[in-house]
Amino acid sequence: MTTTTSGGKRTPAPPASAATRRRARPDRKAWRFLAPFLAVYVFAMILPILYALYQSLLRVERSGPLGLGEPSVGFAGLDNYALALQQTAFLEGFGRVLLFGAVQVPVMLLLALTLALLLDQVSDRWASLMRAAYFLPYGIPGVIATLLWGFLYVPGISPINDLLGDMGLQPDFLGYDNVLWSLANIVVWEFAGYNMLVIVAQLKSIPQELYEAARIDGAGPWQTALRIKIPLIRPALVLTCVFSIIGTLQLFAEPLVLKKLAPAVTTDFTPNLSAYFDAFANANVYLAAAKSVLLAVVAMVLSFGFLSLVGRGRKGGDR
Amino acid sequence: MPTRRTLLVGAAAVAAAPALAACGEQAGAARTTRQAPRSPGRRVDLVFWTWVPLQKAVALWNRTHPDIHVTVQTVPANTSGGYQKMHSSLKAGDPPDLAQVEYYALPEFMLVSGLTDLTAYGADKLKGSYVDWQWQQGVFAGRTYALPQASGPMGFFYRADLFERWDVEVPRTWDAFRTAAAQIRKRSGGASRISAFPPANAQWFASFPWQRGAHWVRTEGDTWIVDLASPESLEVADFWDGLVRDGLILPTQDAQSAFFKALQTGQMAGWPGAQWYDALIRGNAPGTKGKWRVAELPQWERGAHASANWGGSATAILQGTRHPAEALRFAHWLNTDPDSIELLVEAGYGWPAAELDLADSPLGEPSDFFGGQAYNEVFQISDRNVDTTWRFGPTTTQSYAHIQDNIGRVVAGHGTIRDALKDAETKFVDDLKAKGLKARSAR
Repeated sequence: MTTTTSGGKRTPAPPASAATRRRARPDRKAWRFLAPFLAVYVFAMILPILYALYQSLLRVERSGPLGLGEPSVGFAGLDNYALALQQTAFLEGFGRVLLFGAVQVPVMLLLALTLALLLDQVSDRWASLMRAAYFLPYGIPGVIATLLWGFLYVPGISPINDLLGDMGLQPDFLGYDNVLWSLANIVVWEFAGYNMLVIVAQLKSIPQELYEAARIDGAGPWQTALRIKIPLIRPALVLTCVFSIIGTLQLFAEPLVLKKLAPAVTTDFTPNLSAYFDAFANANVYLAAAKSVLLAVVAMVLSFGFLSLVGRGRKGGDR
Repeated sequence: MPTRRTLLVGAAAVAAAPALAACGEQAGAARTTRQAPRSPGRRVDLVFWTWVPLQKAVALWNRTHPDIHVTVQTVPANTSGGYQKMHSSLKAGDPPDLAQVEYYALPEFMLVSGLTDLTAYGADKLKGSYVDWQWQQGVFAGRTYALPQASGPMGFFYRADLFERWDVEVPRTWDAFRTAAAQIRKRSGGASRISAFPPANAQWFASFPWQRGAHWVRTEGDTWIVDLASPESLEVADFWDGLVRDGLILPTQDAQSAFFKALQTGQMAGWPGAQWYDALIRGNAPGTKGKWRVAELPQWERGAHASANWGGSATAILQGTRHPAEALRFAHWLNTDPDSIELLVEAGYGWPAAELDLADSPLGEPSDFFGGQAYNEVFQISDRNVDTTWRFGPTTTQSYAHIQDNIGRVVAGHGTIRDALKDAETKFVDDLKAKGLKARSAR
């Protein structure tokens, strides 16, 4: 069908419509290839999000003696959102993860970038070995990593504490003022290698001619790194940064596991933890849904905000 | 080949699914209990979620009752994940038949209609086999929803050898406890403390106001009254505030590796704990065998025997089971059969909820670990003096978490336990209101 109409139109068609026609046909095929992905995506992402949105508007209504009678579900409007936003501890959780991200993300990415640039300099044989070594922590599940580090933090068990104790220091890694940074340390340890790998991949794609040209122009290793490599791996840096921002907001497994060892990790320590306890310990899925939606909105605003910020920066630079 | 229209129709159907699902949105358990007919000769399979090591007793049941097979699935203890799992399974309509639920959590499960009404299956006939106050933990509005298993009367575990070495008298009153705490710290050269103070264990902490005669939660008509800041509560708060401020206790969370290490090394010379801590001390500090003794909890009034309870749990039959009658039979056997109790005592499950004669039970025997002391005699006195009018509200997990978060901050050097309780009271009331219940502060 398309062939006959397009055949008839071929001669008078202006270039613009030819372009749209050329795009239209692959579109349909693309949809067919995308269908399996989209089906799973709709089922595992879109539907749960819609369901959470819906649930966040509900509440349980109780009756009977002391409310222990048969409960029913009713429409709550935005009450759950109001309730969540009234909980100072929940809002403090946002403050905490933002502070965490403001420190941890730059530190981790700087570390990842440094490692990637160094690996780019050493010979190939050692590079692959070291790359694997740096990447290894990422292969360890967050829960296990936190357990491992937990033992290194708990006073009375930790060899680090003992060692520092011998030097006359009394570190309290799990105390109220420190536990956030102890957590940051675990996350850096886990993900620096992963982010390094993303950056390394982009470094590998830089054509060798650029380096040769730079060398001929008299650039040393420092200048090559600063003037050639870093500008060219900017997309990888932006990507890792966005992932890290989202990951930071969704901080969950690490504080949950550390909570067992550190009372300083409160039930509202991160927004995700707060939603989790509301949903499953406190059996209030509707409030938890509202909190999750709020968290998603903040994550979206921050991620897209960051993207548009760097996007605008780049356009300005190109001109 | 799907056209755009069929795709759109499909997408619309998919988008409509949550709206349809919403019609079936359940406030409580997604499935209600119904008795499946028993076909003769067919084995019934029951699933039991618990963290108490009662596998041996269950194995005995399975050997002696081939027609009803019970599978134990170990879940993380209470709010470490066990209750979370149970609540999700109730919500999903796929719960286990039986579950370990602590007394304090029963009202929470009631609030989501998560428990099977056992009165309908003849549970009330079994009442006489149990200690009355423990039985009452599972009774709501005159109907029975759970069978009690064990409780945790409080006592004072102490290292007799260390108290002797430092010439410290075993405290009979809380005043003497403070004096002994100072002596132990001084005479051990700062290496030892009289007890740990878990910064995040509100259940443990609650046992002290409970002993003093406080009632954190009560009901008036259909209103929940929260009273964390009664004079009795605040007196207890001030007492522990003093110990924390003066560094007389070890600020270590209980039942964690650092805590067990302190038990092993003598960094802790004592521990006011529940009866079921006997098994935890035995299992985690085997090297201290023979050195421990148990005394009654220190008293506020000299010569009194006031006591409290920490922990204790029931065997609940969750909403949605297809075999409530069989599950009830098993639960009753598990908690009252002498052979079962013997195995449970061995495993250290706590103070039996079944009426029993200490002299006839292995519980009454002298213990080598406790230097030949028949230490459970102390807990029997404690058990008989527990103020059984203490109640738990239906938001204990959440509300006690506020208390924990606050007390944790105190231990880290911010504020006082007195203020921690006052602050938690407001949040406690808010928790109840957020559940759609009527609630207010007592003062």
